[in-house]
Amino acid sequence: MIGGIVVKVAFLAALAAAFFYYRVHREQSERWLVAARGSFHLAVISLMIASAILLSFILTHQFQYTYVWNYSSTDLPLPLLIATFYAGQEGSFMLWALFTAIIGVFLMVYASKKAYEPEVMSVYSLILSILLLMLVVKNPFEYVWNTFPNDLIHSGPVPAGVTNYIILDAARSVWAQFPVEGRGLNPLLQNYWMVIHPPILFVGFSAMAVPYAHAVAGLMKRDYHSWIRVATPWSVFGAMALGFGIILGGYWAYETLGWGGYWAWDPVENSSLIPWLLCLAAIHTTLTQRKSGAFVRTNFTLSILAFLTVLYSTFLTRSGVLGDTSVHSFVDPGMWVYWLLLGCIALFASLGFGMLFYRMREMPKIPVEHSIVSREFALFLGAFALSFVAIFVIIGTSSPIITTIFKGVASAVEINYYVKTTLPLGIAITFLSGIGQLLWWKHSKTGSLLKSMALPTVLALGTTALVLIMLGTDEFLILVFTFCSAFSLFANLQVGYKIFRGNPKFVGGSIAHVGIALMCLGFVTSERYDDSLTVALERGKTVEALGYRMTYVGYHPYEREKYAFTIEVEREGVKRTVAPTMYYSEFTKGIMRHPDLINFFTKDFYVAPLSLEEGGRAPEETFELLQGEEQAVGSLHVRFVDFDFSNVQQGAMLEGKDFTIGVDIVVREGTRTTPLKLLMKNTPQGPEFVPSRYTTGDQSTYQLAIARLMPDREDKSKSKVELTVRLPQTSEQKGETLLVEASLKPYINLVWVGTVTLVIGFLLTIIHRVEEARLKHDRWTPQ
Amino acid sequence: MNAKIILAVVVVVAGLIAGVVNFLESNVEYGDFTMAERVERTIQVKGEWVKEAETRFDAEKGQFLFSMRDEKGRVMPVVLAGAKPNNFEIATSMVAKGKLDNGVFYASNVLTKCPSKYEGDASAVKESL
Repeated sequence: MIGGIVVKVAFLAALAAAFFYYRVHREQSERWLVAARGSFHLAVISLMIASAILLSFILTHQFQYTYVWNYSSTDLPLPLLIATFYAGQEGSFMLWALFTAIIGVFLMVYASKKAYEPEVMSVYSLILSILLLMLVVKNPFEYVWNTFPNDLIHSGPVPAGVTNYIILDAARSVWAQFPVEGRGLNPLLQNYWMVIHPPILFVGFSAMAVPYAHAVAGLMKRDYHSWIRVATPWSVFGAMALGFGIILGGYWAYETLGWGGYWAWDPVENSSLIPWLLCLAAIHTTLTQRKSGAFVRTNFTLSILAFLTVLYSTFLTRSGVLGDTSVHSFVDPGMWVYWLLLGCIALFASLGFGMLFYRMREMPKIPVEHSIVSREFALFLGAFALSFVAIFVIIGTSSPIITTIFKGVASAVEINYYVKTTLPLGIAITFLSGIGQLLWWKHSKTGSLLKSMALPTVLALGTTALVLIMLGTDEFLILVFTFCSAFSLFANLQVGYKIFRGNPKFVGGSIAHVGIALMCLGFVTSERYDDSLTVALERGKTVEALGYRMTYVGYHPYEREKYAFTIEVEREGVKRTVAPTMYYSEFTKGIMRHPDLINFFTKDFYVAPLSLEEGGRAPEETFELLQGEEQAVGSLHVRFVDFDFSNVQQGAMLEGKDFTIGVDIVVREGTRTTPLKLLMKNTPQGPEFVPSRYTTGDQSTYQLAIARLMPDREDKSKSKVELTVRLPQTSEQKGETLLVEASLKPYINLVWVGTVTLVIGFLLTIIHRVEEARLKHDRWTPQ
Repeated sequence: MNAKIILAVVVVVAGLIAGVVNFLESNVEYGDFTMAERVERTIQVKGEWVKEAETRFDAEKGQFLFSMRDEKGRVMPVVLAGAKPNNFEIATSMVAKGKLDNGVFYASNVLTKCPSKYEGDASAVKESL
């Protein structure tokens, strides 16, 4: 109850902040500034209180709230319990709004120093209010009996023994029962990645609103240039958080979820990639505007689009439109959220682009002055290629919507689509990220360019040759991509070294490019030169696969009903073990499989479990025999001679004591005959059939047992016995077999090293750009 | 007109056409087994598992063998390259993506659809009372 009210207060306060800030902007007076700041702070504090309430409900297991019941349970460890805060739609919107609010507190102080506060904060408050509106509609504080009124609300006296109830209306004796245990967290999410990955991604999502707010603010203020200087540190921060979040998600998929790789072009992955690419494009084109004043409209467009694609991605993955076309399950959140998300996109698109068109005519037209051989042109082409990747990924991810409109049936594109469309663009991007660093602004002299290109080109050719020799050939375009990535790596190392010796502050860009180049090389080696094989591992038998000797030695349970399957992996005398896991999950009603891997310096050996096949049983034959009758089974003939009641004490059968009945048979193999006695022990627990073994001349073993006794007291010759004979194990029958997919991922460490390098590059750039933006810190004053 | 602009337009148009062609090619059509027989290319067939027919995993080849009944009622043996899909037994329907060859549907992927498994429902809330 209280939570829902606090959320509504936050929503109204954010809306009021947007309004008051707009008044400050319109009237150019500080009259409304205190009210604006106060409203924004009220929204932030209310949202923090609401979040604290939700968290405390989760920690104290208040299952009378639908959200708490739906995503958590009492058996979760504390970090995972905290993580259930954002395991569902309502909570993840709340986290997104919370980060947006917290960033807003810093943004307010920052913008006030840059004379941008009223405009930036009015747009930003509007964004926050829309996120909060989502929470008003999809309320995480709903009571479980309001979600399921028919099942939980009762009237009349409360039955004895029911303690988990609440009286709703004492006068009419209406009461509701509530759950005592939650449904728990999806087992796929139950690992430490769930604790760190979503928050980082949502920081990135929240940060994308800042460049948008600055772009619209620039348009409001008719300031078409200096908004960039103010916005850049935030764009780089957003790109860093989002990029890091994306790769963490990839590592999660690779290491825990067992997708076999770190990138599957899944809608959820794509949806964070699209804004990231557009944000990167914007960071690059703004560089040109700072130098020459060109690309005014492009920079507005890209900054607006980066935020709009965050909203569109949210719509794709949250509205249920993707349906069953992905491995992720998308819950249909209902019509309200669907239309609200669409309305939200329409609102911010018309605000951003409406303002842009309105101001278009009065924008300064800066003629293009640079030549083709200039850094400006390389930056332009690079941003162009990045935007095109984003467009192709948007089209591919929206495929279920597009096909529904044109064909009536939703279908997703094959992964191949993404590879085919992005590979040529990737070649362009990596090449440009190398050559762009070697070019001068305005114009480069061909001679000096060629001179600076010489070393990186030679080294890149060497790298490509090395890849070709060590890993074999692949298609031509992949080799070109390898060359361009290596070229970018060495060109940026060369430039970075020079910059570092001159002014280390400026080295961030080069380092970020080195990171991207390393990642691209890692993509090629680990995804294109990987090797994988389905291997059937019979328990105790060594199988050689991909140059490794693998032996499945057995499984053991852990964490109650989960099983780890131990496999010894040996190569050149060095023995390691991997233990992929499998278990049945009641939550998903399916088998959960988690891979395991060995991380070597030059490669990963990756083992994903597929299934465990029970050991094959030898075939059995069951047949009835009359006394004296003979039956052929396998290479034997079995004859039933007589019953043997000699061990049955008089009266035992009637008194219910244990007794044993024997059946005498004769087994004939060719001319050799052997008498055998089969026993049936009768115990209070029921009959127990004791089998006998017979080993033939060629050492194969038959196992014979009684299945049923049918004595005939009147006519002994009509007495029958039913026997079961298990035939010998043949070589075709296998023991317990573990089926795994084993793969080798060469140089996958390049991807992780590249990611860390990229983040360091971003961090250095943020520090540099914040300092640069501080150069002009005139506090906002009414004009 | 400026040569640079013409070049840029040509590059953009060529890129877009390549993208659209690629998009259409990689969108796998939906159909039934009769259509699979006719077209001889990869399609997606929606259907249900025939429980009575032989269903087993071939550990040697790493293939899962079962039979599927398409929406028109036609039954076809399916060979899936890989292990038994998740939730196979409880799936209400499934979509197999693959090609028909000699009366056998060779699937590269089988997606199972289950009765709403993640969202909390009324029966789930009763269980946890």
